Amino acid sequence: MKCLVVDDEVLARERLTRMLDQLEGCQVCGEAADGEQALGQVQALAPELVLMDIRMPGMDGLEAARYLLKLENPPAVVFTTAYGDHALEAFDTQAIDYLLKPIHPERLQQALDKARRLSPAQLDGVGDSEGRVRTHLCARNRGNLELIPVDEIAYLQADQKYVTVRSATQKILVEDALKTLEQEFAGRFMRIHRNALVATRLIRALEKDSQGRCRVVLEGIEERLEVSRRLLPEVRRLIRKGS
Amino acid sequence: MESSQETLFLPSFCDIRLVFAVVVIAELMAFVLVLANGRADPWNDLGLVSLFVQWIALSSAAALCLARPLLVRIRSTAAVLASYLLLLLITVLISELAWHMGGLVQAGGRVGHVEFLFRNTMISAIVSGLVLRYLFVQHQWRRQIQAEAQARVQALQARIRPHFLFNSMNSIAALTGSDPQRAEMAVQDLSDLFRVTLRDASERVLLEEEIDVAARYLRMESLRLGERLRVEWDIERLPRKRRVPSLILQPLLENAVYHGIEGLPQGGRITIHGATEGKRIVITVRNPRATRGIASHRKGNRIALDNIRQRLQLVFGSQAGVAMREVDDEFETTLYFPREKVA
Repeated sequence: MKCLVVDDEVLARERLTRMLDQLEGCQVCGEAADGEQALGQVQALAPELVLMDIRMPGMDGLEAARYLLKLENPPAVVFTTAYGDHALEAFDTQAIDYLLKPIHPERLQQALDKARRLSPAQLDGVGDSEGRVRTHLCARNRGNLELIPVDEIAYLQADQKYVTVRSATQKILVEDALKTLEQEFAGRFMRIHRNALVATRLIRALEKDSQGRCRVVLEGIEERLEVSRRLLPEVRRLIRKGS
Repeated sequence: MESSQETLFLPSFCDIRLVFAVVVIAELMAFVLVLANGRADPWNDLGLVSLFVQWIALSSAAALCLARPLLVRIRSTAAVLASYLLLLLITVLISELAWHMGGLVQAGGRVGHVEFLFRNTMISAIVSGLVLRYLFVQHQWRRQIQAEAQARVQALQARIRPHFLFNSMNSIAALTGSDPQRAEMAVQDLSDLFRVTLRDASERVLLEEEIDVAARYLRMESLRLGERLRVEWDIERLPRKRRVPSLILQPLLENAVYHGIEGLPQGGRITIHGATEGKRIVITVRNPRATRGIASHRKGNRIALDNIRQRLQLVFGSQAGVAMREVDDEFETTLYFPREKVA
């Protein structure tokens, strides 16, 4: 079985790699130090099993695991954790396997024996109760995962089934609903229209087009998005406060 | 010291300051009695009444002083009752003596022997009852305050996050295979750290010991975080021999790691700056903040800071404290306390 070891600590990776190498039928094909690297490695190396630390800088283990599910052939995931990770409590009710560090060789063997793929339902319960907020949005494009860091998103625009996510350099389509995105990133994005959220920090000004409709100017973005009349006062207030 | 659980509710009446208080209160009572008598020229009686009241009061104080060793041994309700009866007995005895000596009876008007005894006993019953109740309630209150203070010190006992313990154990487990020498050092550091947390919370340590603990802590963390953790010490001008509550600096560093460095893929630098500024010793810890989890950083910091602040102020009073502020994309926490010990 090909395994990928994901942990932000070198020593933790070293130890786990050494333990896996000693187990029969196990082969460590690569290592990653955070969630983003892990996603890249999974796509490049196609491991069957990912041993994933939960608490990592940048994209954490839970978020990465969620994106792995979007792959056509996702690997099985076993989480590793030291202590005090909020998600632990949620695990008790969810049938997700996890290992406590320092990991016992027998426990590791057991986890490998029953390593199985996570289902979206299993991951859904984890972490949500803690109000965990993602660091990236993720889409699948011809079998590859595309990521946009939430900090770089300029606006989110709903269009029938998909939401267009636009940053200064990228544009991807995600399947999340605009409503849930609005709730998840409350405060960072502002609703300006029934179908659009824009990054609050990028709002610069309002413009009127030839038909007299108001449009918002976002820093670093060419497009001008329409502001609905109902939400106009709030946008105005924000611009006044900012200037 | 009043350290045993069951202490006597009575203060020690052998204490000269308390005897003086007894004299003053007895005199006030003599005034009340004379004034309440309603006679045309009350000041004539004052001398005699004072003598009588003081006699009873001082005898009572003496009796309670002598009886103290016995009262300590019995239960507190029994002690209250015994003291009460003792006071009444003294009143009766002295009234009886006074009756036979005669002076007071003429001053007090024409009352019979039995009525005289009865009146005095009633007055004594009421006044002693009030005084004993006052002492009893005050004793209870003081005991409660003591218990609360004790509990607070216990509750404030600084703790190291379990997160840190298990991560360190994991690092050690990894090192035992690859680098036994470093593993050995790590075990020593970790033991020293936990020994400190198990110490009595009220114990003071030298500032240099506290700095040593902090350095050990950071060494453990750099084992785990490697290059991501960079530390800069600037404490040349810090007085090493000042005594402080233990674990006032380490929790700040722990927060800096937990909420700052750990959340940054590239890590960052923690700067510890310490010096005397005027009459104060000021220690400042700076760390970059992770973009994520700023809210949790503030909250985690607030809890740790409240704890440190309370422990500092239990020792140094309001001249000590902790402050946190955000400068650009860094968190800066500052500890300060008086340079000289406050008397």
